[in-house]
Amino acid sequence: MVEVHDVSLAYRLSHSTPTTFKEFAIRMAQRQVKYEKLWALDGVSFHVDAGETVGIVGPNGAGKSTLMKVIARVLPPTGGRVIVRGTVAPMIELGAGFNAELTAFENIVLYGTLLGRDSDRMRERAAEIADWAGLSEFLDVPIRSYSSGMLARLGFSVATDVHPELLVVDEVLSVGDAAFQKKSRERIERMMEEGAAIVLVSHDLDTVREISQRALWLDRGRVKLLGDPDEVIGAYLRHAGVDEDDHAAPRAAPLRPVEAPDTDQAASGG
Amino acid sequence: MSAPSSTTYYDSEQSRRPLVSEAIHFWEYRELIKLLVVRDLTVRYKRSVLGMWWTLLNPLLTTAIMWLIFSQLFRFPIPGVPYVVYLLSGVLLVTYFAQGVAATGAAIVNSSSVLSKVYVPPEVFSLAAATAATVNLFVGMIPLLVVIVVTGVGVPWTVVLTPIPALAMLALITGIGLLVASLAVFFYDVLDLTNVFIQLIAYLTPSFYPLDIVPDQYKIFIKLNPLYHYLLVFRYFVHGGEVPAWFSYVVMGGTSLTVLAAGVWLFSRSWQRLVVLL
Repeated sequence: MVEVHDVSLAYRLSHSTPTTFKEFAIRMAQRQVKYEKLWALDGVSFHVDAGETVGIVGPNGAGKSTLMKVIARVLPPTGGRVIVRGTVAPMIELGAGFNAELTAFENIVLYGTLLGRDSDRMRERAAEIADWAGLSEFLDVPIRSYSSGMLARLGFSVATDVHPELLVVDEVLSVGDAAFQKKSRERIERMMEEGAAIVLVSHDLDTVREISQRALWLDRGRVKLLGDPDEVIGAYLRHAGVDEDDHAAPRAAPLRPVEAPDTDQAASGG
Repeated sequence: MSAPSSTTYYDSEQSRRPLVSEAIHFWEYRELIKLLVVRDLTVRYKRSVLGMWWTLLNPLLTTAIMWLIFSQLFRFPIPGVPYVVYLLSGVLLVTYFAQGVAATGAAIVNSSSVLSKVYVPPEVFSLAAATAATVNLFVGMIPLLVVIVVTGVGVPWTVVLTPIPALAMLALITGIGLLVASLAVFFYDVLDLTNVFIQLIAYLTPSFYPLDIVPDQYKIFIKLNPLYHYLLVFRYFVHGGEVPAWFSYVVMGGTSLTVLAAGVWLFSRSWQRLVVLL
């Protein structure tokens, strides 16, 4: 399904990148054009079998989102090779291309087409997609008047309106209110039952433990550990200095803080 | 539920074939390009009362102002056609070039919020911007044709050939746009430099003045400007007047294809580094 062979990806650090031609020319004259590279991924190898769920954990800045983008083809790897077979539903920063001036209907069609789907099919599906997001009465309203939660729900509804063979999920399971989260989890579970493979990034370690067959611990762009989710997450928590009981404890609390998704980014897209 | 129609096999080591890959993408993403063009054309005027009518009004108003200034103050003698016709056709084509290059050059940088979230070949956004500019040209030709008829010039049969200079210009705009886009990701200044370059080219094109008023020793600069030859052919096809030499057709065809090939080639080489920087 997914093969990741020795993949590395370098970003240029912004402070050393000359962003203006003037600056570049000056540095060129001074023979100082040096790019400082940040290796977001450094020799990462793993694979995902058909129907398998692999959870990716690690601290902030470990390269998790970059790895998701490499698998979803958004970022070409600097080195190594990625092969993905089958239909992919990328669920990374939902709502790409949402335009505030366009109506929900127009945005559904545009977003779906950006995701590589047939635009006529999207027109047929639009009403149902909006309905699933609980937004059917706002279908012909420019999304400029939507709240960030409504936008996130709309994005999620479009992104999951498919039968993919692979889902690439980056921290989007905590979109919307409690009712919507339950609904979205059910939809993901249905896809799993249909045999979809999932690569999942989440800081919600309980979810990762629950649905993954294997887990991968990423740290500073390298694979630290790959294997049984309980073992990997346990090791990761011990390394982070968090006691496993401490981590598990807030689970019973009704107001468990949830990792905030990038919902506001959806509104500014376009 | 719809099945994603996106390619079901991705290998990061599959290399791009310059021109071929872009042509395939253009075809594969034609629906998306259509949507992006419609979005470009509608969103701009979405909040305005007149909406899409601005596409017609803009060249007319520009022409009206220039007509007031130049026909009353300067009185250029134009061979063959009324000044207002000469002016409107000139303004239309130069605006097409100027807006097209500016929009196409900035298209990829402006779409970074999309390109950093979903996979779409980036040049799709450049092509959509260039296509939107072309649609604007054809819409703008409606008032031009009305003026041609009203002033009694009459529409020659060659008007059916206007897609030739229009498409040649589309190739030129796309080529320059891709060159600019490839550089703009590395140095943002390129977009500003481009605007200066566009202005220079625009003034070096006899859109509102006749070539005759240019002193002989400077005429060479205008004739070296490819846009001059596009405009000669365009004007001849739309409303007659000065007959272009065969040389103008050669310049038009040659520059459009060369610049397009150069733009696509540079883009093919740099797009991978470009995407990571977005």
